[in-house]
Amino acid sequence: MVFVDIVCHLDVLPMIGSTLFFAQRFSAVFLLAYVIWLITFFIFNQPFEFSTWVQFTNQQKFLIFTSAVALIIPLHAFIGLWTIGTDYFTQRTLGFLNNRLSQYAGLIRGAYTFLFTIWGFLIVFFILFIIWS
Amino acid sequence: MSINHNKVRPVYMNLFQIRLPISAISSITHRLAGIYIFFISLPLFLFLLYFTTKSYNDFMFIQQAFNNSIFFSTFVSFSFLVFAYHILTGVRHLLQDLHIGESLSASRVSSYIVFILWFLLTLFVIWMFYL
Repeated sequence: MVFVDIVCHLDVLPMIGSTLFFAQRFSAVFLLAYVIWLITFFIFNQPFEFSTWVQFTNQQKFLIFTSAVALIIPLHAFIGLWTIGTDYFTQRTLGFLNNRLSQYAGLIRGAYTFLFTIWGFLIVFFILFIIWS
Repeated sequence: MSINHNKVRPVYMNLFQIRLPISAISSITHRLAGIYIFFISLPLFLFLLYFTTKSYNDFMFIQQAFNNSIFFSTFVSFSFLVFAYHILTGVRHLLQDLHIGESLSASRVSSYIVFILWFLLTLFVIWMFYL
């Protein structure tokens, strides 16, 4: 239950602006490089075949980079989704939809933060499980 | 100088009174695309990765599903296109963070460039898989 309490209040933790900004941008550059690497594989291996694909996904390089990506995706997504939450799920913006709803803005934002944090953990688990199994 | 303290001020913003410029539309769709990717595209990609590397039969099953089911192929193509859109607008934001194309007119032009590139990519996907 302590874990749930911590996760529900992640959005009120002091998030340091410049650190978040740079974490978001550098993770974006890393993910972009990874995606470009995958795209070049698909471009140079047409038609798409099982043997080359399995060979590609079984190599050490793929496993290491994908494991790194598995950890970087939740970081990137957490900052982005946290920003969205603090921008839109506030008393001010929800009051536009419904006056009663705005009273529960903190709770709604907490539930939303909780949801995508759990989802992020599931994503990490499944990526690591799929590539290392 | 007198300040009218009785003036009624809006407590909440009326979001529909804000007319979004093209660069703001590009920014908000980047966020929406991000949500879509995190909750829908990413699990789909993991599903595809799992079954295409599991065995040859599973690989062929996925490939046939893609060729035969218009629903499945559209869902997969759309998820990839949303991802491509997030990347294109993301690169635009990264360039702006490096102070490239920060001015009002330049950001307007770059939004149109991103929309046109994505539209061409969509046409390419339709041409490749549906025609």
